Amino acid sequence: MGQGVLDVDDNNFESEILKADKPALVDFWAPWCGPCKAIGPAIKELEETYGNSIVFARCNVDNSPNTPTQYSIRAIPTLILFQDGKVVDQVVGAVPKSHLEELVKKVL
Amino acid sequence: MHQDLYDVAIIGCGPAGLQAAIHAASKKAEVIVFGRARKSGLYKAHIANFCCYERPISGKDLLQAGRKQAESFDAAFVEEDVIETKNENNLFSLVTESGNTFTSRTLILCLGVTRKKLRVKGEKELVGRGVSYCVDCDANFYRGLDVAVVGNESAAAIGAVTLLSYAKTVYLICRELTITDTLYEKLKNSNVKIIKDTWVKEVIGTNEVEGVLLKNGEALKVNGIFVERGAKSALELAANLGVLFDTETVSFIEINKKQETNIPGLYAAGDITGQPWQIAKAVGEGCVAGIEAAEYAKKLAGD
Ligand SMILES: Cc1cc2nc3c(=O)[nH]c(=O)nc-3n(C[C@H](O)[C@H](O)[C@H](O)COP(=O)(O)OP(=O)(O)OC[C@H]3O[C@@H](n4cnc5c(N)ncnc54)[C@H](O)[C@@H]3O)c2cc1C
Repeated sequence: MGQGVLDVDDNNFESEILKADKPALVDFWAPWCGPCKAIGPAIKELEETYGNSIVFARCNVDNSPNTPTQYSIRAIPTLILFQDGKVVDQVVGAVPKSHLEELVKKVL
Repeated sequence: MHQDLYDVAIIGCGPAGLQAAIHAASKKAEVIVFGRARKSGLYKAHIANFCCYERPISGKDLLQAGRKQAESFDAAFVEEDVIETKNENNLFSLVTESGNTFTSRTLILCLGVTRKKLRVKGEKELVGRGVSYCVDCDANFYRGLDVAVVGNESAAAIGAVTLLSYAKTVYLICRELTITDTLYEKLKNSNVKIIKDTWVKEVIGTNEVEGVLLKNGEALKVNGIFVERGAKSALELAANLGVLFDTETVSFIEINKKQETNIPGLYAAGDITGQPWQIAKAVGEGCVAGIEAAEYAKKLAGD
């Protein structure tokens, strides 16, 4: 069990994600996006399982325009896995929980 | 037939929606059903495993009979897609593709399942880098750019019109449009460039979408392609309301034995709740949902 899903934005993205001492999975989402809402519970469940070893975070693209642009995001939800400040891999869309779990396991 | 407030609104007129309508209307609830029979999974099927029918029966015939039966109990039908759902003050409001709004005490989702992908070269490789399946989610990322929408039904038509507020140029690629006259007029009078009688052959681009190749040989230079087949799906119409999907596949709506979702007054039945994708299951769940919704609406009305 980890700390819950952390909200990050343009201001703290570097300190919380890029300079984190653990790998981080960031969910780029928006409150009005149906598919983003639909994968929320799966992310929460994964956080409960893997939250000790990985930072689970979400970034609302409405409030943080710079970070999504920096990572060329053109669809939400997009989930990007970071390690040591670098992108390891990413998935796009409301994918099954097992896909997200495979992603997470790449840095375990 | 037209009234301000319904007891039970049903999205989908396949076997699940029809059975729900029959049971809800026979309990004297005011029922309204949305959707097109032609878009039901059953429409082109021949059925040999549905109880009590020994010989194969045509799905089309079953759908026609079911509609007549539901109408004989006074259920009303609107042959349009629903493009927006809201849940406020214990009431559901639905907007149809022609722009009409309907309000109901309860809502039953019987949307079936549809294939969303095009399955063409370049599509899978460029998902999230120009290929999108949700105009509502991603339109904002295409400000000032050129985009194409592909699809023959309401989601594509509405999506193209929505994109006009963001993109510089919007193409709509379709074989033949199945939408209401009102929506067609709106589309025709807009700046959407309609390209008819063709389909996407290939999505072109290396790191991101650079264009699309059409079956008629034409090539369009676009930065994005929105695949919007069919009507708006449960991910767009239900997830917005806070409905929970199964976490394993994120494709099916979670329900209990009363066909209730996690939202009070909101039910789901048929293929949309998961496998097996069979009429017998669809009508079984539709029956339960129709009865439960009618009773819930009566309680609300009595308060
Ligand atoms: C080729 C084929 C053969 C099959 N053979 C068999 C068989 O032998 N035996 C068997 O039991 N089953 C069979 N099935 C499966 C069966 O057809 C489905 O299980 C059944 O139709 C599911 O019913 P439903 O009401 O849940 O969804 P559907 O029948 O698919 O109906 C969905 C409805 O929702 C509507 N809709 C969707 N989105 C919207 C929207 N945004 N707004 C308004 N309306 C909307 C559509 O217009 C449609 O009316 C077959 C299916 C196919 C495709």
